[in-house]
Amino acid sequence: MLKTEELQINIGPQHPSTHGVFRLMATVDGETVVHLEPVFGYLHRNHEQLGEIWTYLQTITITDRLDYFNSMINEHGYCMTVEKLAGIEVPERAEYIRVIMSELSRILNHAAALGFWLQDMGSWGTTLMFGFRQREMIMDIFESVGGSRMMCNYMRFGGAARDITPNIVEQIQLFLEGFPQFIDDFERLMMDNEILLARSRNVGVLPKELAASYSVSGPVIRASGIPYDIRKAEPYSIYDRFTFDIPVGTVGDVYDRFLVRMEEMRQSHRILQQALEQLPQASGSYINQAYKAASKQQGLRPPAGEAYCRVESPKGELGYYIVSNGGNTAYRYGIRAPSLINLTALNDMCRGYKVADIVVILGSIDIVMGEVDR
Amino acid sequence: MRAMWEFFFGVGWFATLLSYITITTAILISGSLIMMLLTWIERRGLAYMQDRKGPNRVGPFGLLQPVAEAIKTITKEDITPTEADRWVHFLAPVVILASTVAAFAVIPWGNLIPVDINVGVLYIVAISAVHTVGILMAGWASNNKFALLGGMRGVAQAISYEIPQVISLVAIVMLVGSMSVVDVIQHQMDPYGNILSWHIFTPVGLLAFVVFWIASLAEGERPPFDNPEAESELVAGYMTEYGGMKFAVLFLANYLTNFAICAVTAGVFLGGGNGPGSDIPILGTLLSVIYFLAKSLGLFFVMVWIRGVVPRLRTDELMHFAWKFLLPLALVNIFSTSLWIAITRWGAEQGMGVAEALGEPGSIARLAVAWLVTGVINVVAFFVVARINATRGITTYQATPTAV
Repeated sequence: MLKTEELQINIGPQHPSTHGVFRLMATVDGETVVHLEPVFGYLHRNHEQLGEIWTYLQTITITDRLDYFNSMINEHGYCMTVEKLAGIEVPERAEYIRVIMSELSRILNHAAALGFWLQDMGSWGTTLMFGFRQREMIMDIFESVGGSRMMCNYMRFGGAARDITPNIVEQIQLFLEGFPQFIDDFERLMMDNEILLARSRNVGVLPKELAASYSVSGPVIRASGIPYDIRKAEPYSIYDRFTFDIPVGTVGDVYDRFLVRMEEMRQSHRILQQALEQLPQASGSYINQAYKAASKQQGLRPPAGEAYCRVESPKGELGYYIVSNGGNTAYRYGIRAPSLINLTALNDMCRGYKVADIVVILGSIDIVMGEVDR
Repeated sequence: MRAMWEFFFGVGWFATLLSYITITTAILISGSLIMMLLTWIERRGLAYMQDRKGPNRVGPFGLLQPVAEAIKTITKEDITPTEADRWVHFLAPVVILASTVAAFAVIPWGNLIPVDINVGVLYIVAISAVHTVGILMAGWASNNKFALLGGMRGVAQAISYEIPQVISLVAIVMLVGSMSVVDVIQHQMDPYGNILSWHIFTPVGLLAFVVFWIASLAEGERPPFDNPEAESELVAGYMTEYGGMKFAVLFLANYLTNFAICAVTAGVFLGGGNGPGSDIPILGTLLSVIYFLAKSLGLFFVMVWIRGVVPRLRTDELMHFAWKFLLPLALVNIFSTSLWIAITRWGAEQGMGVAEALGEPGSIARLAVAWLVTGVINVVAFFVVARINATRGITTYQATPTAV
């Protein structure tokens, strides 16, 4: 018998499927992973420090760059925190606009994430393009409302930057009509694929207890069997007005995360339909007019104090913590980034599986390095 | 070809030499041209499946894109990693390309036959195995962990998949009674242009085709078996440390292997250049080349199609698939082939195809019995083996998310 040696491979920082500049120090025995250490920090951009130097209004623009796949939800969370701090009320219509944009953002993120995940699994490009086609349609909607496709910069304190016109409502409705077809097609294309089942079932299992002790959130913890969703656990904005379900997995493997994301897109579709039906028609109430002028001139000075708000981002629980000392910039600004915290469980998910599984498991966590490194 | 040069020079050995040089040059040039066409088909085909445009700027429909890329790769700097084994690193692409091109020596282009050796099928299998050595050389010499893993995967995969590949060819060799590729194609010839005489239209040939085609996909490192170069896992596998012209050579060898697979499959199972009118003296040769290219490129399009829709297998699953699925099927196929031979040729001469059977009274019934028996055996074997290996059939696993 020949003597064998463990091999240490550095997957990344330059690697096609690490979702950005991210490094995985994998110790492998042949093709089996013995230990895996995530190394990050290559994309650090002083986000939290910038948030303390820039004014509150300016900081909205950099929250877009946190998780650049769902800028709307990032802005939503940040604006909610500042509103809580300054005691700003949000008009009814503005809340609906925010929910619509957030749910569109969730669909956008999941469609792209599933495409990327299957790309990591080796289905060359087709599924990615399939997801990206939906993403493109949503980005067109974002462009109509905010003027930008990815970095929307749309939410403001007390509402949104612009009102949504009947044309845009029509555009969203058109998208919603075609969407169930996409989900069904995607499911038919991939769900019964023998190779996909073989590669994703019982791979990267994260048991319930371990998931809770790592405090992972989002689809990862739901796939492990814990129905934890901020939209239900601590309803923010107007989420308590809609009826929707939280999909929960049973095994906590990669396949469950895939199914949970599919189902979440369906539930977002349900929320969007309800929100469009209930959307109040009072035009002009897309922003709290009393604060519109103040926020435009960057003159927003919340009273001294602190506030923490959390929203359900597609990646998990996204929290903002802001301390104000009465000035026009935040005194302290911190973020609970779901991607970073979900990433900590990676070693336990990967140990014992093959090298080829690492990228699949990483893809199933769905990280964005902009949010991990901030 | 030899006769033509003898007509000009009259000297026997000189004419032979010239004829071989001509044939080799023709193979090399047509190989490169075919490779260009293949990359174009692959990129445009994939783009079409993925709602993209694909390369469409250089030349008409982007047909000259491969030329532009060839110029780019040739003019690039040739980099050898400092810690690499210089000579092995340099020789690996040469070995891979040489073994691939050598396989083309016995592949008939319709009625144009480069060399007809009596163990042609064995030669193809043997020479394509040399390819494996090149992969291991490339992976080892690069002194890169990704390259090493890719090389190891490549070797393990090639060795495993050669076995079902060869055993599925054994069935055809038994059927034909000869290892010559030309004889295999002749066996599928029908004077009435009846395509039912192709091997794929018998139960035995169909199963052999399925096994051979899947094993060949693995042999040619095509998705879903592209593990040695698995882009999303190993960057580029054993090709990671190659750049410029060396990479272009590896790339060329890759596509030539794919084309060789398609050509062999077309020859062995789809009748090569056989088709309506392929036996007319001069026009028939042209027609047969067209038929051959149409069949081979059609098969290549199937490869592209598979690449467009199927995710990659993991290395251990890949091994299981070769040993637990393909190998039993190939062995069962040998068994049913011997039954087929025993039933159709009981007391008859070797080499009785459909045409002869049609002319002989009582043979139709014999053929029908052979069809029935082998068909039932093969279909049952396929479903039994598939059932044993199915992951979908596992009932203990229930992962359907429930709404709470």
